[in-house]
Amino acid sequence: MNVRKQVLLLLLFLLFILEGALIPWILPGSWQSILAPNLVFIVLLFVSIYHNRHTALVLGIIFGMLHDVVFYGDMIGTYSLVMGFSTYIMGFIFRVRRAPMPVMMTVVILGSLLFDSMLYAIYRLFSLTQVTYDWNLLHHILPDLVLHFVFGLIIYVPLRKQLEKIARREKKEKAA
Amino acid sequence: MKLFKLLGNKRLFVILIALVMFIALMGFTLGPRASLSLPEKFLRDTVGFVQNIIYKPAGYVAGLFKDIGNMREIYKENERLKIALAQYTREKANYNFIEKQNKELMEDLHFTEQQKNKFNYSYHIAQVISVNADPVNKTLVIDLGERDGVKVGQSVISIKGMVGVISHVSNFTSTVKLITAMDAKDPNSNGIAVTSMNNHKTFGVVESYDETSNTLLMTQIKQDDPIKRGDMIVSLGDTDKYPRGLIIGKVLNVQESKFGKTKTATIEPEAEFQDWKQLFVVFTPEAPK
Repeated sequence: MNVRKQVLLLLLFLLFILEGALIPWILPGSWQSILAPNLVFIVLLFVSIYHNRHTALVLGIIFGMLHDVVFYGDMIGTYSLVMGFSTYIMGFIFRVRRAPMPVMMTVVILGSLLFDSMLYAIYRLFSLTQVTYDWNLLHHILPDLVLHFVFGLIIYVPLRKQLEKIARREKKEKAA
Repeated sequence: MKLFKLLGNKRLFVILIALVMFIALMGFTLGPRASLSLPEKFLRDTVGFVQNIIYKPAGYVAGLFKDIGNMREIYKENERLKIALAQYTREKANYNFIEKQNKELMEDLHFTEQQKNKFNYSYHIAQVISVNADPVNKTLVIDLGERDGVKVGQSVISIKGMVGVISHVSNFTSTVKLITAMDAKDPNSNGIAVTSMNNHKTFGVVESYDETSNTLLMTQIKQDDPIKRGDMIVSLGDTDKYPRGLIIGKVLNVQESKFGKTKTATIEPEAEFQDWKQLFVVFTPEAPK
């Protein structure tokens, strides 16, 4: 098995932990009720573009389920569905070989919008929220988008390198 | 013919089935559940263990920087606290007399053991180990669980006021659903019967939170209610759902309700929903079966 792959998976789990345990401390108090960053999702978008959208789909469902069970407030399945679906759709639409940076950043922006909008739609469907979409867009989705974009820029270079190494290794194994 | 072609597309079929299954899962888990299944408990406890390792040190480091920042503020706060403490000691003497008298009266009136202990709450300190920032499904994970006797529905308070309700419990951790996620239409949330701290003639029900203005809404207030701006609102505790005397918040303003028969009040929550550290779970005395 590929060691690099396992290390990446472990790092992804660590990122999930940090999201709940460290990010609230870094953000200033007044931002804590506005921003709900989902960093694991951004990494999965990278996986979907540079590696394989089916892997991203499975990882999205698994990590979404993890999030749902650990932070079980109202119901299980929202994050799982939304993360799996939006990573897959993004990988499905942008089937570009060796996508350059602007394309990847577009994916991050569109993916983030799709993710938060779907989440809102599901909560609205089960009438767990009463705010309008416009309000939600201004107060949650767009601030999240900015944070996701910055995070995407930070991890772009190292993550792409690692993911392409994994892809190259797999190609070699297939050829051998 | 076109429909068959569409169904012949295997990928679309799988996606549709998955969608239906997810919606079914959400619908199933939305209602009240007796307890969590074993895999869920295991997952929560394992993740909770790792979160516990990270959250506390991170909080100490972050807290250190913040403390250096408001050294002057702390000096002033100390001054205020000294004054408050002096007042408490004075009132404590008076309280002891009243409590003793109250006990004697209970004896005289032959209160049962259960009636005597009804308001004998105990407060268990809990450490927050993780925060979910999702605007609708706002939850915290705390490090007390089934082993410590925590049960679904117990109230959770911070030093300032009421924070939320325990929504799910596993062996070593439990999830707190914040009152900022309260909603009259939510099947899992119950309204809190409340009164004013200084005037018990006030009565109302707090059952929803308005996210756009960050206030709680208190409804079903009678027209002749003495409620006014600045009143401290506390829980009334006449049902088994919530204990008595939990601080909810201050009244911002009172207005006529939409239908005119009653009044509604907007309440600014007293607890701060940020920088989570320690919380208290309120244990009510066991009711005999």
